[in-house]
Amino acid sequence: MTEKTVKMKVFGMTCDDCALTVTRGLKGKDGVLDAKVSLADKSAVVRIDEGKVKPFELEALPVFSGKSQYRAQVRE
Amino acid sequence: MKREYDLVIIGRGAAAFSAAIKASEITSGQASIAMVGFGHLGGTCVNVGCVPSKYLIEASKMLFDQRNPRYPGIAPVAAEPNLKDLMGSLRDAVEGEREAKYEDVIRQYDNIDIVEGKATFKDGNEISVSGNAHNIRGYNFIIATGSSTTVPDIEGLGEAAYLTSDNIWDLDDVPGRLAVVGGGAIGLELGQAFSRLGSEVHVVEALPSILPQAEPEISTRLMESLAKEGIEFIMKARVLRVSTGKVIDIVTAEGRKELKVDAILMATGRAPNVSGLNLEAAGVKYSRKGIWVDSNMRTSNPRIYAAGDVVDQRLMLETLAAREGVIAATNIYEHANQSVNMMAVPWAVFTEPQLASVGFTEKEFTNANGGCSCRSLDLKSVPKARILREEDGLFKIVVDPRNDRIVGVHALSPYAAELIMEGVCAIQHGLTINDVLMSSHVFPTVSEGIKLTAQSFIRDISKMSCCME
Repeated sequence: MTEKTVKMKVFGMTCDDCALTVTRGLKGKDGVLDAKVSLADKSAVVRIDEGKVKPFELEALPVFSGKSQYRAQVRE
Repeated sequence: MKREYDLVIIGRGAAAFSAAIKASEITSGQASIAMVGFGHLGGTCVNVGCVPSKYLIEASKMLFDQRNPRYPGIAPVAAEPNLKDLMGSLRDAVEGEREAKYEDVIRQYDNIDIVEGKATFKDGNEISVSGNAHNIRGYNFIIATGSSTTVPDIEGLGEAAYLTSDNIWDLDDVPGRLAVVGGGAIGLELGQAFSRLGSEVHVVEALPSILPQAEPEISTRLMESLAKEGIEFIMKARVLRVSTGKVIDIVTAEGRKELKVDAILMATGRAPNVSGLNLEAAGVKYSRKGIWVDSNMRTSNPRIYAAGDVVDQRLMLETLAAREGVIAATNIYEHANQSVNMMAVPWAVFTEPQLASVGFTEKEFTNANGGCSCRSLDLKSVPKARILREEDGLFKIVVDPRNDRIVGVHALSPYAAELIMEGVCAIQHGLTINDVLMSSHVFPTVSEGIKLTAQSFIRDISKMSCCME
């Protein structure tokens, strides 16, 4: 397993429920080991197994696309 | 002003505004955006392009129609223009549009900062801005710096105080004799407007035809129509020098010609604003024709996009710029891979008659595909045109013979810029001639010309009764 920590900018969160929804959306992806989402900073710190998921794949998760109100960019 | 933004947009015209607003919408207003630029907000179109030119065109049309009523029994009115008042109202209209559609709009977005100054890339993540002590960092950039008028290097022209589409709006008097150098859209529109306001207009064009991108039979008809109004066309001509007293020395295939005028309008094209951006530092490829982008508006630096006139592309249009701004913002935040269908982007020349076009010309489609199916229809065949007593014009539809799909629609007629939308919808949605035939049109309208041209693919329209479907 190749563990990596990814920092993301998350747009569209307005309340604690949003942060929870984004957290669930991230953790639901195979290869995501943990996700800490900050409503205040509009960001997420995500630990991933790079063998299973690439950082930029996180931006295209269902929670960040389609009719979802959230969008995200991998920053580091 | 912050020192770091999610999105830095360089420019403040149609592409920049569309991109900023779309990025704000997608991110629920949470993307921090800097819009960096100088000059009036709104860019070319509202300040020195479409808005003032269409205002002047409509005013000159009113004067022309008063002097030249089309119907027997309506006497001409000997009206004289007061250009100072007209241009004053034009400038007020421009200011009003700029305020309503740009200044008031941008104030409603708390996440967008307007930064005054000229941007220069330091690297792919940072710009300096003239007059600002601090550099600005951005995660993404959209370059939307637009275009500027270009004027060829002609001996004596600099001393002749020539006009361009940037400063013609400051005129207080109608020039007695006006030379328009350039037979493109700007030269023809302003040439006709000033002709109707009272100038003796001479259009000097280097090519053998005006509007070389148009269907040749349509541009030829437009030139004939404008010539009938009194505009002189000097074709295949090059301005050698301009002497004191605005004497223009022209060389043509027939020899040398001298033209003494009171004003010179240089309508010789526009060039993308790439200089001074230091695009090399950002790894953005460009040429004198503009910035290279892929079909998703992404430059050679994947975090930097470009939109509008600054892009290396065939058309310079406000609507195209605005669409590209939206697409750039959408692709940045949505990974949507959206692109523009350039063949469904219409363009128009607001002369009278108007010329409007979308998609392939006959020659373009034939060259690309080995053949096409085309029909042309004289405007005289359209009942509404006869009612309007406006018979100078032509419709042409280009069809892919393999599937009957419409791939080009071209019109020279009253309201052509309005009715071309039927062609846009047809091409955008892959409609066939039969789809047009199966759609009822209002009678009597000029847009019935599209239907009649479509009908000419299946029958001799001289053997049709009125409104036959």
